[in-house]
Amino acid sequence: MSDGSLLEVLLNTLVPGDGADWPAAGSHGLAKKTREMAGLQPDGVKALDALLAMLPAGFEGQSQDEREHVLARIEGDAPEIFGAVLSATYTAYYTDPRIRDVIERLCGYENRPPQPLGYELPPFDESLLDQVKARGPIWRVVPET
Amino acid sequence: MSETADIVIVGGGAGGLAFAWAVADPRLKVVILERGDYVDQRRAPTLDAGWELAQQTRFNANPNIRAGSADHPVDDSGSPIKPAFFNAVGGSTVRWGAHFPRFRPSDFRPRTLDGVGNDWPLDYRELEPWYDLNDRMMGVAGLSGDPGNPPRRRRPCPPLPLCPATEKLAAGFDKLGWHWWPSDAAILTTGRAGRAPCNNCGPCGLGCPRYARASADIAYAGQARAKGVDIRTGATVTGIELSPPGNRVEALSYIDRDGGLNRVACAEAVIAGNGLGTARLLLDQRKIQHTLLGRGLMLHPTAIVTGVFDEPLASYRGAFAAALVSQEFYETDTARGFKRGFQMQVLRGQGPLTTAQGGYGTALPWGKQHAAAFTRSFGRTLSLTVTCDDLPERDNRIEIDANRTDRWGMPIPKMIYRLGKNTKSMLRFGIDRATEALTAAGADKINVTELSRAAGFHLMGTARMAEDERLGVTNRDGRVHGISNLTLADSSLFASAAPVNPTPTLQAIALRAGRAMRDRLGLAGAEPS
Repeated sequence: MSDGSLLEVLLNTLVPGDGADWPAAGSHGLAKKTREMAGLQPDGVKALDALLAMLPAGFEGQSQDEREHVLARIEGDAPEIFGAVLSATYTAYYTDPRIRDVIERLCGYENRPPQPLGYELPPFDESLLDQVKARGPIWRVVPET
Repeated sequence: MSETADIVIVGGGAGGLAFAWAVADPRLKVVILERGDYVDQRRAPTLDAGWELAQQTRFNANPNIRAGSADHPVDDSGSPIKPAFFNAVGGSTVRWGAHFPRFRPSDFRPRTLDGVGNDWPLDYRELEPWYDLNDRMMGVAGLSGDPGNPPRRRRPCPPLPLCPATEKLAAGFDKLGWHWWPSDAAILTTGRAGRAPCNNCGPCGLGCPRYARASADIAYAGQARAKGVDIRTGATVTGIELSPPGNRVEALSYIDRDGGLNRVACAEAVIAGNGLGTARLLLDQRKIQHTLLGRGLMLHPTAIVTGVFDEPLASYRGAFAAALVSQEFYETDTARGFKRGFQMQVLRGQGPLTTAQGGYGTALPWGKQHAAAFTRSFGRTLSLTVTCDDLPERDNRIEIDANRTDRWGMPIPKMIYRLGKNTKSMLRFGIDRATEALTAAGADKINVTELSRAAGFHLMGTARMAEDERLGVTNRDGRVHGISNLTLADSSLFASAAPVNPTPTLQAIALRAGRAMRDRLGLAGAEPS
């Protein structure tokens, strides 16, 4: 199996989606981007290659549960390597415009940058503070020096 | 190149720019030497779909990860809390949340009141007019009348609003009978010349293309230049030259962006490089032998408690760090088992990528659980910091490693820091209180980060002020004892940490010190009003 295919299987194991709204990361074509994202971290590509090398022969033919079991063991044995790869995977996935469309549809978070539109800025409702004000000062008075 | 200036300021951040503006005068040649560049906030990363990626890379708060062209490495292997600062005109205020609290009067007297730490040679009343002036310059939104603090003037503009998530939390605090108040924030809610009001977008830490969120470059740099201040970027100071017998600064040397070595002779030298940078420069030069230099490093050890709510709250909307605070546990109560106190500050939810990566804690679970975990968390979280006052322990310090140098030939600074017993007790107590508050607000799941490793953004106390030169590196005006013309103007001067963001206080000190220098130079200037 090529490195690209193995990486796809790895990504599908880490982010398998839900079979409905959320696609699996590997099948979604994010292998190349994940490698690019790993390159943004110090030693990120090295971590990705190291993790791929730790996968046992036949990994790609295992069930999701079996693959998760393998990865959980690697996570315990090499947490820094695993963490770097997971971070790169999440970065590739959650910056993908098609995933952002899913987020917009399911969560209402618009697929656009925060600026320039932003959001409405309503006025502060001062009546919320009635109870706090009624209590009176709580700061510590310090004698003048 | 060799030249002469009246005043040379090292560092164009929050303190250096405020000082420069306060001291500037057409009759003076004032030069700022800033190792970084201007950041064009009109083109902030929040205008781009890849904004969360920028947050982790070129806008990462940790200089070791960011590794930009103006950054030097920091050896942080001796500290569980990692450094966070930004090298640019405006300094770390380019990369901040603009939470803008003042110290309380008791923060200036911890030794007298509680028998710990150090008293300041200044008090709140003396700094108050400088706080007020700085509020106007930066542009502060807030609400006067906070029962947790002394009465203060009407804020320059009304407070930022709460949101559905923070309203729940406010109700939780009310249920417990605890203090809360909308944050003072250096964020405009009404426009002013050249600056539009906030549009509630959220990730203030990446710069603000509307200039609603203040930073020292936006608030001070233009006005300082208009008064004749020469701000030089890409200028890394590498040397301090003292005239014999070593009690006066003769000149500073710096490397420019082309690699050229320059010398500026000066009548007055000012250093404003924060508690790490200032200590590093002075320790490297070995011109100041004070035993406290570099010692007593104070951070704000911070726990983060996150509540997950079972309904969508769009908690990513609104200034991420400037909603409300609770100062219920701010003052000493010895029954709690520690001295001094902490503030709880709201942090709103984050973008999709940051949510998946764990936000302020650990990453969301991977595998089959991941999609459900994301849907369950995104837009539904709210966090409380437990921001602890810190005591100036002598062994917590900045050192330099003479055997390792950066690209400018300067020794690498080392952060050496451990949590004290008092702080550990405070963190434990504070985590329980924050959990209580979020539970009262209706959160049905709580995640705890017992110590935020990334929270090394407030670097204080490494050249603290005291009138007695045995007890401090500088006097109350930031003048270094034993050197007739060297002033410090940053958080290295702090005698105590308080449990709040230091920027308003360090800027008030810098403004006051700038005015004091004008007085010494015989230049007229009205008192702040």
